[in-house]
Amino acid sequence: MTPRNLFIAVVAIVAITTGTWLSYQLMSPPPVTQTATTLPAPAELPEFALLDHDGQAIGREVFEGHWNLVFFGFTHCPDVCPLTMRVLADAKSQLAAIGQDPLPRIVLVSVDPERDTPMILSQYVGYFGDGNLGITGELEEVRKLTNGLGIFFDKASINGDDYSVDHSAVVLVVNPGGQFHALFGAPHEAANFVHDLPILMADH
Amino acid sequence: MRIALTIVVIGLLTACSVEKAPLVATDIAIAKPLPGMQMTAAYLTLTNNTTQAIRITHVVSPNFESVEIHESVLEDGMARMYSLEDVTILAGASIRFEPGAKHLMLLRPTGAIDSVVLEFHASEAVVLTVSVALGD
Repeated sequence: MTPRNLFIAVVAIVAITTGTWLSYQLMSPPPVTQTATTLPAPAELPEFALLDHDGQAIGREVFEGHWNLVFFGFTHCPDVCPLTMRVLADAKSQLAAIGQDPLPRIVLVSVDPERDTPMILSQYVGYFGDGNLGITGELEEVRKLTNGLGIFFDKASINGDDYSVDHSAVVLVVNPGGQFHALFGAPHEAANFVHDLPILMADH
Repeated sequence: MRIALTIVVIGLLTACSVEKAPLVATDIAIAKPLPGMQMTAAYLTLTNNTTQAIRITHVVSPNFESVEIHESVLEDGMARMYSLEDVTILAGASIRFEPGAKHLMLLRPTGAIDSVVLEFHASEAVVLTVSVALGD
């Protein structure tokens, strides 16, 4: 093979390889969420007047500036709530490990404000990591938030004076604009959040 | 009466299996109560090595004022928790207490705790006693 033919062959191989790679990149479908349900259009949150875990008055603006994973639960729940909070904390750790930026903020809205004081919530959400937010306050104000989001909860007697609270098990995604953006149905697994959240964030 | 019942039940269970313990607990996990909390959950597997069903009617612990048998269920998107009066482990079978399902709810520690003793009762007879160190 003459040097000229060799040159032509090399150029041809590079051109074919580059063309194949480019067509693959252009033809590949964009990544899609596997678990999360995204709202057709993000929805404004209802107005409410509640307290954060430091006892500071907050309204719906508290969600702005963060990607929020919002769970509705209560601290006297021994099983499902700590399980869900651990899943969310694990997901956040895994997202951090793969360099996701920004990271979501984990938010627990108490559906048992009778027992969940800001101080109790502060200890509780702090146990699951830094930067988490606990929300509590007057029951009617909690209802304003939950009713507007299709979240249900109801006190249920268990044994004597002890009570539990039945509650929606979904985790809502509230975007940095403070809008209800998507939701994850239960049961929850960290891998679902790790896969879908970066896609939701990138698409926004 | 209580002692007699205990002897009868233990005798029955022992007669059913000469090698293995009648009732065995494995994979026991009890987390320390979360900060500020007066309760936690216990998870484990109970295996009935006998040829008769064993009905656990209640569980007690010297480390907690109350131990309740609960079951978490997911119904129509709602997380609910029910109190169970008893659980039955069929002959030769196992039953799992696990997150998001059946579990023991341990309420109000009686003092500082590093480990927990659980007594499983079939009516008035103690059919199993376990001791486990608390995890995180």
